[in-house]
Amino acid sequence: MSKKILTLLFALILLILPSTLFAITAEEIVKSMDALATYDTSYSTGSIQTTDRFGTKESTFKAWTKGTSESLIEFTSTAERGQKILRTKGSLYLYYPDAEELIRLQGAALRQSVLGSDLSYEDMTEEKTTLNDYTVTLDGSEVYNGHDCYILTLTAKTRQVAYPIQKVWVDKETYVTWKGEYSTSQGRLLKNMEVLSVMQVADRTIPKETKIDDAMKQDSSTMMTFDTLQINVSLDANLFSLENLTW
Amino acid sequence: MVNIKRLGVLLGMVLISTTLWAAENPVITMQLLSYYTYMPASDAYSDYMLPSLSLSIASPRSGNVRGEVVLKTPYTSLTSGSATTIVNDILNKAYFKARFPSFRLTAGKTRLSWGDGILFNAGDVLYGSSDTSVSLTQAELRSETGWMTSINYPMGFFSFAEAVILPSIDTHASHMGAGFRYYTNVGNTKVEAGYLTSYETERLHKPYVAMQGNIGPDWYMASSLSIPQSGDIATETKESWLISGGLYHLQDLGNDKTLSLRLEFLTRPFGNWELTSQSDSDCALLLYPEIVYTPSSSLSWSLRSIISPLDLSCNITAGVSWSVFEGFTAVGYLSSPFGDSSDLFSWNAATSAVSLVIGASWIF
Repeated sequence: MSKKILTLLFALILLILPSTLFAITAEEIVKSMDALATYDTSYSTGSIQTTDRFGTKESTFKAWTKGTSESLIEFTSTAERGQKILRTKGSLYLYYPDAEELIRLQGAALRQSVLGSDLSYEDMTEEKTTLNDYTVTLDGSEVYNGHDCYILTLTAKTRQVAYPIQKVWVDKETYVTWKGEYSTSQGRLLKNMEVLSVMQVADRTIPKETKIDDAMKQDSSTMMTFDTLQINVSLDANLFSLENLTW
Repeated sequence: MVNIKRLGVLLGMVLISTTLWAAENPVITMQLLSYYTYMPASDAYSDYMLPSLSLSIASPRSGNVRGEVVLKTPYTSLTSGSATTIVNDILNKAYFKARFPSFRLTAGKTRLSWGDGILFNAGDVLYGSSDTSVSLTQAELRSETGWMTSINYPMGFFSFAEAVILPSIDTHASHMGAGFRYYTNVGNTKVEAGYLTSYETERLHKPYVAMQGNIGPDWYMASSLSIPQSGDIATETKESWLISGGLYHLQDLGNDKTLSLRLEFLTRPFGNWELTSQSDSDCALLLYPEIVYTPSSSLSWSLRSIISPLDLSCNITAGVSWSVFEGFTAVGYLSSPFGDSSDLFSWNAATSAVSLVIGASWIF
């Protein structure tokens, strides 16, 4: 009898073991999400479309990144042609060709809106280290638009973030964040984010079209679209320099 | 003087023709502003409309040579200026840049921004950013351009040296100007130092230093001297000493609402510190507070003022800017000076006016 019980217990442990030994943690999911958006180097072109009840405004850009802390964005649309943003560790340099002016920003100024969109300079060029700013819990799973997703809740550790609470739906296979709900610390919904389409780049699934709706305003949204994205490309060593920024 | 200006105009024409040949799509900025003014001194009302146009023709942003020509409508020179002054005003920019392996050459009419400061910048030894005769209705408060040849020499990723040669303002080669600056980061602080010698009514030597950093808000400071070559050098140098500085902070109010706060000052340590009426040339202390509230991505409210604390006068401009459509922005401003008749800003001086400005700009 006791042998049967032992055998039964052993079989039960064997059944349970894989799900406990190999269960992914919330932190590991977030690290995988960050890793998906972090490249050794990248070059992309795309657009930011801001829509309100008066219509749509579009700004187009070219962007280069290196690691988590160096990025350069050059705007190519008519109204902002030649304006550039260089992000380095701790500083942001803006170059306005009309005034031939080089402006260095630090601190809270990094949270300025870029070209009147719902995105800040920090959003566009941020270092992808989510766990530095947020604690995370795994709330469960759900199939969203045909994608099997983890549901995570991220709660801000500091006040220096735009959204104190983020609830995100993360693809279990590709770690694409298909959906996000961004709220105040009191739980009031501010923004809805949805990835509308993805593209395959070097064995990674990357968001191609991302739509951010303002939950507080009707008919207000921002669409960020990548037309091209190349990752781990060879970049000029001089790319992330003031010399190149002001050229 | 005329020959030099003719040469400049000729160079401008050459640059226009070469740039047009290789240009990308030109960018046109149109602005139409309606002014409604009340002049307390004469108890008179007036209204007028001021259209302005800017045409920018730039070469493609690729390759090792670039150029741009910007033509603007002239106003100040149309009524009183000579033909060459008018052409010089119309030709706002006309330059090319060439990128060599170890340095960059810029030649033509353009702008160099030295020092730090939106309104007050003691480090701006090239054009001067210390006077109060600016329109607070413009997004860009200082935008003067000039003829020059400059060389930019990179010294690492975030440091460079820059040298500039300014043509003579007349036919005398000895009246040319020249200068240089060095720009680098020391720890988390940007440090810039330079020197310019130029001939205005006399030969002046202008050393300056400028710094920028962050202590919660971003801060910046600059200081310069204007040392004459002859005359009472010690006194004039003392009186020319300028120190400017500023603090800038952007407060996130949540849900895309932001409040930006800026406070700049300009001081002349050996200026007129008496609590009497001040003048632009020797005013000992000036302040520039600026508050911009942005309740949404397309709308902003602003309150800007230049304050002269020693004679308790000021100029206040309240404004609203609404980016309605792509490239199309509606603007409105209400501006008024406050102060006694002899103060720096005066309510009832002959040219003082309370102005309401309504208009729009379109860039395409």
